Amino acid sequence: MTGSKLTKKDYTKTTLRAYFLQNGFNYSNYQGLGYALVMYPAFKKLYGDNPAKLAEELDNNCEFYNTNPNFLPFITSIHLAMAENGMEYDEIRGIKMALMGPLAGIGDSLSQFCIAPLFSTIFASMAMDGVAIAPLLFLICENVTLLAIKLVMGGYGRRLGTSMIDKLSEKMGVISEAASMIGVTVIAGLAATFVKMNVAITFSAGAIEEGVKQSTVDIQAMLDKVAPALLPVLYTALMYYLIKKKGITTYWLVLITVVIGVALSCLGILA
Amino acid sequence: MQITLLQAVIIGLWTAFCYSGMLWGIFTNRALVLSFGVGIVCGDLKTALQCGAIAELAFMGFGVGAGGTVPPNPIGPGIIGTLMAITMDGVTPESALSLSIPFAVAIQFLQTAIYTVRAGAPESANNALKKQDFAKFRLHSNLTILLFALVGFLLGFLGAYSMDTLSKLVALVPAWLLKGLTVAGGMLPAIGFAMIMSVMLKKEVVPFALLGYFLAAYLGVPVIGIAIVGTVFALKHYNDAGNVAVAQAATEEVEHDDWI
Repeated sequence: MTGSKLTKKDYTKTTLRAYFLQNGFNYSNYQGLGYALVMYPAFKKLYGDNPAKLAEELDNNCEFYNTNPNFLPFITSIHLAMAENGMEYDEIRGIKMALMGPLAGIGDSLSQFCIAPLFSTIFASMAMDGVAIAPLLFLICENVTLLAIKLVMGGYGRRLGTSMIDKLSEKMGVISEAASMIGVTVIAGLAATFVKMNVAITFSAGAIEEGVKQSTVDIQAMLDKVAPALLPVLYTALMYYLIKKKGITTYWLVLITVVIGVALSCLGILA
Repeated sequence: MQITLLQAVIIGLWTAFCYSGMLWGIFTNRALVLSFGVGIVCGDLKTALQCGAIAELAFMGFGVGAGGTVPPNPIGPGIIGTLMAITMDGVTPESALSLSIPFAVAIQFLQTAIYTVRAGAPESANNALKKQDFAKFRLHSNLTILLFALVGFLLGFLGAYSMDTLSKLVALVPAWLLKGLTVAGGMLPAIGFAMIMSVMLKKEVVPFALLGYFLAAYLGVPVIGIAIVGTVFALKHYNDAGNVAVAQAATEEVEHDDWI
C-alpha cells in the first residue's frame, strides 16, 4: 500500500532535518508544525502519488509536539520505519507520543545542562584570556557534538526500533552522572575565578607620624589568607541557596545583585 | 567611535543569523558568539571577547530555555552591551553587562510575543493542507524562523544605529552608578553558576565542587586543566558503572555500544 521504499539516504535526510523542528514554533502546538515539516520529504516519497493521503499524514503530524531536537531523529527514524512497513498513524502515534517526554528530559539535560555549559565555560575563559578564535571553537565543538548525537540517534532508531529506549535511559543515567562530575568540577572552579568581589576597605594602623610610612591593614589581603576567592564562592553559594531552597527567580536575583553591587560600591566596601 | 550605516546593516544581518540559529539549535545565540561578530565588524575584538566571555558566564544558567520556555536573551549583552563597551568611553565590559540586562529582558518578552502571535499558525497550516497546497503549508511551518530573522535584523540594526542616542543616555548616568554597575557586573556571573549548579549539584557530586574550588583558587589551574581532572573521575565512574552492568548482563547478549 505504500509507494516507493525509503533508502538509508532518506533516513539521513530526515535526521538532518531535525534542525528545522522549531522553524514553526508557536504557543499552540509548539513543535507540531516543525515535526510535519521535518517529515515532509520522506512522506512525499512514501505518499507522493496520493496527495490526499500526503495532506492527511502531514495534518495528523501537526498535532502538539515538544521534545529535544537532538534526540528527535531517534523518534523520526522509528516513525519512518513503521510507516514504511505500512502501519497507519494511529498505530505509530502511541510510540511517537510515548518517546516525546523521556527524550525531552534526557536530551535537554544532556545538551543544555551538560554539553553546552561545559564548552561555554571552557571557551569563555579562553576568550577572557584573549584567544580570538575561542567563539569559533565553541561553535565547532558544540555543533560537531550535537550533530554526532543526531546521526547516532537517527541510526539507532532505524536499526533497533522501540526496544532500545530502556537501555538508552539506563546508559544515559551513567553518562549524565559522569558529565555532571566534569561540569560541577569546572563550574566550581570558574565561580572561584570569574566572580569578582574585592573589598576596598583598608585601615590605617598606628598613629600618624611624620616621615614614617604608615602600615595599613588590607581587608582583602586578610580574606585571601583565610581562603582565596572566599567572597565570590560565598556569594555564589548564597545565590544557589536562594534558587534551590527559596525558589527565587533569576529576575529577582539579577535585580538584587545589581542593587547590592551598586550599594556596596557607593559605600566604598567593594571595588 | 562612530558606527557607520554599513556596519549597522552587517550587525543587523549577523544578529538575524544568530537569533534564527537559536531555533535551529546551533548555539549561535550565545553572548560569546554574538559579541564576536560585533567585535569583528567594529574592529575591536579584544573588548568584544571580554564582553562576550563575561556575559556568556553570566547567562550560562539561564541563556537557554528547557522545554520551550523563554529565557532572557543574550542579544542584550552580546550585541547591545558589546556595542556600548566598544563605542562609549568609560563603559567597562562589566558595566556594559549590567546596563544591557534590561534589553535582555525586553527581547525575552518580544520572543514570547512572537510565539504567541504565531499561535494561529496550526490553523493556517491546516487550511492549506485541506486545499492540498503544500507550498503554503511549508511557508506557514517556516514562518516563525522568518519572523526571528526579521526581528533579529531590526534589533541588531537599530541597536547599532541608535548607539549615538544610547550613548547620550548613558552619558547621563552618573560616574558613581557606572562604577557600581561595574562591581555588580563582576558579581552577576555568580547567578549563572548558581543556576547551573541548582540543576547539576546532587549529593554525590558535592566533592567535585570542592575539588574544582581547590584547583582554581589554591592551585590556579586554568579551566582546561580543571576539566581534565574532572574527566579523569568521570571516565573512571563510567568504566566502573560499565563493568557492573556487564557483570549483571553477563548471561544476556550484550549490544555493542558504539554511540559515544
